[in-house]
Amino acid sequence: MTRLHHLAASAPQRPQTELANDAGLTQTDNVLRSHKYSPLTFLPLTLFEQFQRVANLYFLLMVVLQCVPAISAIPWYITIIPLTIVLSVRGVKDLANDMARRRSDAKINSRPCDVLISQRFNKGQWRDLHVGDVVRIHKDQVIPADLLLLCSSEPHSLCYVETADIDGETNLKFRQALSATHDELTSQPSEETLAAFNGVVFCEEPNNRLYVFRGQLHWRGESSLLENEHVLLRGTVLRNTEFAYGVAIYTGADTKIMRNCGKLRVKRTRTERVFNRVVIGIVLCVLLTALFLAIGAGVFSSWVMSHTEDASLLVVDDNPAYTGFLIFWSYIILLSPAMPIALYISFEVIHSVHSLFIGWDMDMYWQPADRPAQARNTSLNEELGQVGYLLSDKTGTLTQNHLLFRQCCIAGEIYGDPSVRAEDTEPMDLSWNPFSRGGLFMSAPGLLEKLRGQQCPLSRQFLRALCLCHTVTAEWKEEAPVYQAASPDEEALVGAARELGWVFLSRTRDFIVVSELGVTRQYQLLALLDFTSKRRRMSVLVREPEGGLKLYCKGADIVILERLQKDSPYQEEIERALELFAQACLRTLCIAVRSVPEESWELWSKTQAQAAAMATVDRDTLLEKLHDQMERELQLIGVTAIEDRLQEGVPETIALLQQAGLKVWVLTGDKKETAVNIGYSCKLLDAETRLVEWQELRQILQSPDPEVIFFKARQTELWAVDKQSAGAKTAVVLTGPELAEFEQRPEWGASFMSLAEQCQSVLCCRVTPGQKADIITLVRKHTRAVTMSIGDGANDVNMIKTAHVGVGLEGVEGGQAVQNADFALSQFRFLQRLLLVHGRWSYRRISFFLLYFLFKTCGFALVHIWFGFFNGFSAQSLYENWFIAFYTVFYTAAPIMCVAFFEQDVNADSSLRWPELYKSGQRQELSSPLVLCSSLLYAVYTSLVLFFIPLGVYYDTAYDYQTMAVTVAMAATFTATVEIALLTRYWTKFNVAAVCVSVVLFFISTRISQSTFLFQKSPVDYFFIGVSDKAFIDPLVWLAALLATWTAVLPSVTALALNVILTVHDKHKVHSVSRQPVELRSKLKRGTSLRRSSYALSQGAGPGRLITSGTCIHSTVPTLDEKVASSNYPTDSRGQIHIKTNNHVTNGT
Amino acid sequence: MVKQEEQLLADRPDNTAFTQQRLPAWQPMLSAGIVIPGFVLIGLAFIGIGVALFVTSQSIQVLEMDYTGRETTSGCFKCTDPDTKNCVCQLDFDIDTLIKGPVFFYYGLSNYFQNYRRYGVSKDDTQLSGDLDNFINPSDTCSPYDTDNDKPIVPCGSIANSMFNDTFVLHQLINGTKKLVPFDGKGIAWWTDYNVKYRNPGVKPLKDAFKDTVKPPFWPKPAYELDPSDPNNNGFINQDFLVWMRRAALSDFRKLYRRIARGDYTQGLPAGNYSLEIHYNYPVLSFNGRKKVVFSNVSWMGGQNEFLGIAYLVVGSMCIIMSIVMLIVYAKFKFPEED
Repeated sequence: MTRLHHLAASAPQRPQTELANDAGLTQTDNVLRSHKYSPLTFLPLTLFEQFQRVANLYFLLMVVLQCVPAISAIPWYITIIPLTIVLSVRGVKDLANDMARRRSDAKINSRPCDVLISQRFNKGQWRDLHVGDVVRIHKDQVIPADLLLLCSSEPHSLCYVETADIDGETNLKFRQALSATHDELTSQPSEETLAAFNGVVFCEEPNNRLYVFRGQLHWRGESSLLENEHVLLRGTVLRNTEFAYGVAIYTGADTKIMRNCGKLRVKRTRTERVFNRVVIGIVLCVLLTALFLAIGAGVFSSWVMSHTEDASLLVVDDNPAYTGFLIFWSYIILLSPAMPIALYISFEVIHSVHSLFIGWDMDMYWQPADRPAQARNTSLNEELGQVGYLLSDKTGTLTQNHLLFRQCCIAGEIYGDPSVRAEDTEPMDLSWNPFSRGGLFMSAPGLLEKLRGQQCPLSRQFLRALCLCHTVTAEWKEEAPVYQAASPDEEALVGAARELGWVFLSRTRDFIVVSELGVTRQYQLLALLDFTSKRRRMSVLVREPEGGLKLYCKGADIVILERLQKDSPYQEEIERALELFAQACLRTLCIAVRSVPEESWELWSKTQAQAAAMATVDRDTLLEKLHDQMERELQLIGVTAIEDRLQEGVPETIALLQQAGLKVWVLTGDKKETAVNIGYSCKLLDAETRLVEWQELRQILQSPDPEVIFFKARQTELWAVDKQSAGAKTAVVLTGPELAEFEQRPEWGASFMSLAEQCQSVLCCRVTPGQKADIITLVRKHTRAVTMSIGDGANDVNMIKTAHVGVGLEGVEGGQAVQNADFALSQFRFLQRLLLVHGRWSYRRISFFLLYFLFKTCGFALVHIWFGFFNGFSAQSLYENWFIAFYTVFYTAAPIMCVAFFEQDVNADSSLRWPELYKSGQRQELSSPLVLCSSLLYAVYTSLVLFFIPLGVYYDTAYDYQTMAVTVAMAATFTATVEIALLTRYWTKFNVAAVCVSVVLFFISTRISQSTFLFQKSPVDYFFIGVSDKAFIDPLVWLAALLATWTAVLPSVTALALNVILTVHDKHKVHSVSRQPVELRSKLKRGTSLRRSSYALSQGAGPGRLITSGTCIHSTVPTLDEKVASSNYPTDSRGQIHIKTNNHVTNGT
Repeated sequence: MVKQEEQLLADRPDNTAFTQQRLPAWQPMLSAGIVIPGFVLIGLAFIGIGVALFVTSQSIQVLEMDYTGRETTSGCFKCTDPDTKNCVCQLDFDIDTLIKGPVFFYYGLSNYFQNYRRYGVSKDDTQLSGDLDNFINPSDTCSPYDTDNDKPIVPCGSIANSMFNDTFVLHQLINGTKKLVPFDGKGIAWWTDYNVKYRNPGVKPLKDAFKDTVKPPFWPKPAYELDPSDPNNNGFINQDFLVWMRRAALSDFRKLYRRIARGDYTQGLPAGNYSLEIHYNYPVLSFNGRKKVVFSNVSWMGGQNEFLGIAYLVVGSMCIIMSIVMLIVYAKFKFPEED
């Protein structure tokens, strides 16, 4: 444990911090530093980084070698020009990125916060915060560092935080100060008492465990234990609390959220890795070839020596071995153009442009928030075209986390129409209801009539149940209650009841005040049997104002239906309604009621009090039994149906992506039921899909031959359910604790993945951020596919970083996920376009680029090998030096760059219409090592043609070397141009211009570099003077170049032609397949029983404990007295007293 | 109002064809109907060019004679001894039909690597463009022929040093008398070489410029005495020197020696007996080299070149064969067997 010593007692200045033990605590200020350069360090650092790239180092070596006259086959400036360009472009780019990071850091660092200095809260900035500082947080402020909560403006020093940015859960969490600090510091809540706070905090070393905190506070001779409950984490937002005071315990990089960010991993695309390997292969080949040529040179020179008695006409050294040695280096220099130096920089430029296109896409622009898509990492574009696994977060990604009360069934009658979209629902006239705030997307005038006409007691009971049976708290704002719910479902239910006239007004520990159609009634809350994921239900036992005890219960259908009294009326109708709701992918809850006789309640409560007092392990089971006893003999009233609103276009997107061959997995921290429900509603799962859960999966995995068993399991099941269904659809559902077993059984990973590959989908529920990342690691380890993860919250950061490609959804708040993502989108459905259009295009463009680049550089450079055999292995260049310098940069670069920018085989709409086209990327059809190698072989062929045809033409003629050089250069340029013309399928004006300009440029700059003017400036550098004057008008030169060009491109022309002929048929097939748009509504077959009853709650127990203990209820309800007083009904005075004074009275427990 | 909206949507991307990747473009739709005729056309074009080249090449008359003297029967065998100086040998030959003029007279060398890199760089372009500084200090690239006994060699370097120095005189034998066939040695070098690339220093007389320098060791006489009769053909701008300095591409090459287009021989070399007098100076046997002389006329495509014509024919035929294969493949696909 690191000891944090907090002294604040009499210090006149800001409280000082003393570190008793600095192990692990590296940073005591709160400054975020993600930039890496300073003006001084930029140059050395950037050079150091860039020369870590093997390619750059290689070319630096080349430049050095070229400076040695004895081996300099081509002058040094031929290489240093492109190298300098490459280095400076890269450096500028890095610098710009770093500046942007610096700016964003500065923005975060300068966020305001109130720091206590000299007994006063001064406006400070986040960067000024130090460990031990006392901070005041305002409502809705982001918490700047990990704080120990000292006290807050709320009773019991409670405060609410929203942790959406940390764990993705949007419901509010309670945090409570120690009673010790609360009692002392709030008695006179002033700066002085806070400034006088001089406790000593012992806490753990900084770590990344978000949900665990252990520490001790020593203050005034007392020591109290500190837990997670007492800590406010950086990145969370204070809600519904005016002020909170805290003392900083971890700052800056030590905070939990920063510790959770993990190390920044440089992501490299698979294509780049393959290509790197090919480049290394090329280098090795060059070395080997140079070696052979050097041996040849040695042999040649020894032959020359043995045959020339007198002074040799040729210049050879005495020692053939030494000659060979020099020639080796010369050939390395001469063949170095085969190593594409401009490749990496072109690669980056192309990536940047593709990223710009992503940002420019109107169809990925989210107008309501004025937010275009954003490629934050500009080096992964082609990976977008190869994604095999999409791992998605649920809350906020697939769903909006916005629950709507869409339908209900009361006493067998169904209200509301799910076929109408929520926005299109005809709004009901609720003007009679002063509490109506809108937000009810259900049109059921019939129900209203019944309710207001007081005709149907059951529907009244139904709504009463809705407004009583929950753990929501109400806060009064502008004369109306604002509900704070731990679960969005509850909020939706209570809100719906409010709209329909049953308004939950407030609650105290013992009473619930509601307004029923304008009549205020007070129910005494006798017991609250809270929701747990095991019970899957909750109940309240209330005493009605008229007397009489009622138990209102809501819960999952299975649980409720087995607890009904015999011959409960409407059961059949309601069960049918359940099925209907399920088909509409709505979340259902059964509502039931029971009248409890007074005497049985008394007995029950006595037993319960006894049980609660027990301190043994049996207590929970006993309580469980008791609760079970109470929730019996229920009378079913109805069913609620809540729509967990999906993000726009989610089912279509998922269906489209699945057609494109992607496996879509859902990883969520949410409950299994919710996840499965969402799985159905977003078409991830079909009605026929068989869910394999852990027990079964475990058996399969444990069996010696998992695949066979799995196959059999699938078969038999399908046989039983649906004979016709040929496609066996299976999905695996796992939960976090089950996944933990994988860590102990690493051997399961491979077989699990092979099973998962055959599954429609895998749902992982209740997983921690770390586990999300583990799942991705598992996928990455056992498949060769590219993984993509998408999420919106800080809990997704880990998986976003772990996946090959991480996508962050920009939510309402924006935040950590986007910060760490490679791509930021505003809507899940934009994924279609990102993957199927931009990704596919990028993949094709970049693959074409790489293949062509390899071809053109190797094809032109390898000529020297063959020439070596005819010039005594002397490393004589077959080109003018300037041609070597300009070939890659000016003569062949622009057309391929245009292809890499603009190429599209099919347009965006067709890409989306035929998602199958995407599969070629997943199969790496254009970037596999095989394809790259065939491109290399083709380059070798080309170089052979480029050399041997001119050789045949010029052998034993009066043509000189320089004319041959120009001929070969011409043929090489033509070949590269024809090849790019064959590759281009989308001729924009830029492509046409680039091709024309490149060829014209070749002629112009050849004429220039061979001009009289330049020769007279420097005879040594421009010694090709006059060659092109003669060569360009010589028909033989043209005929030779033409023949070489056509012969060189003949294989690819033939391949293209055969391809055209062979695919005529296929294309016709593809185009003639009629396509229906993906249907939104599921086509469930009759007879499938798929009730999905669910109820979303955050992890851990519900807040029932706080309600029944009364701690979370406070009186920010100034107008309630009048409201209650003005009501028609006499009210229970006790309740009112409680309401008024609960701040001081009801904290007894 | 509009302005406000614009401000609200500040990050809205531009809706242009470029940013939305909807640039108008021509997308060639290839089909078998284009591809196969295309191949046939290109094949025919190549065959056409090939035939034209082949016919032209055949019409060029070439007379090629080896005079290395390797065989003892050869007239120049006596000159192959390196110790023999100023050896002259004769090569007699007959011409059956008139070689139409203008006739070009080449000398040819084989197994001679003028394209060897160290050989090729061994010259000083600055010196050769008449820079007197480089007369005194030849460039390092000339090594080992940059200095001789601490005196700078001019012209320095391997290429210059190894200049071909056989000379030829051609006689037609008419009724036992020798009739000199006049040679034209003007303009056999490249215009740029003669006028720009190689320049004599501006010093008059030329000999003074070569003060304190030595001739290349292999040369019998210094550069300023290459053609004392004609100052425009002397020194660095001597045509033979320029022709030699233009390196050959491959190890077997010809270089233009003279044109025969003067006097009675404007129409070419008539049929008859000829005698070529060779001043045999240049040793080639030591490296298995060969020397030859070539009389040839030229056409629009230059000298005789059978390779090009044949290569065009071969490639053209390949295209035709390919198109036939494609046609078969296409037919199979287009009209697949029933079922």
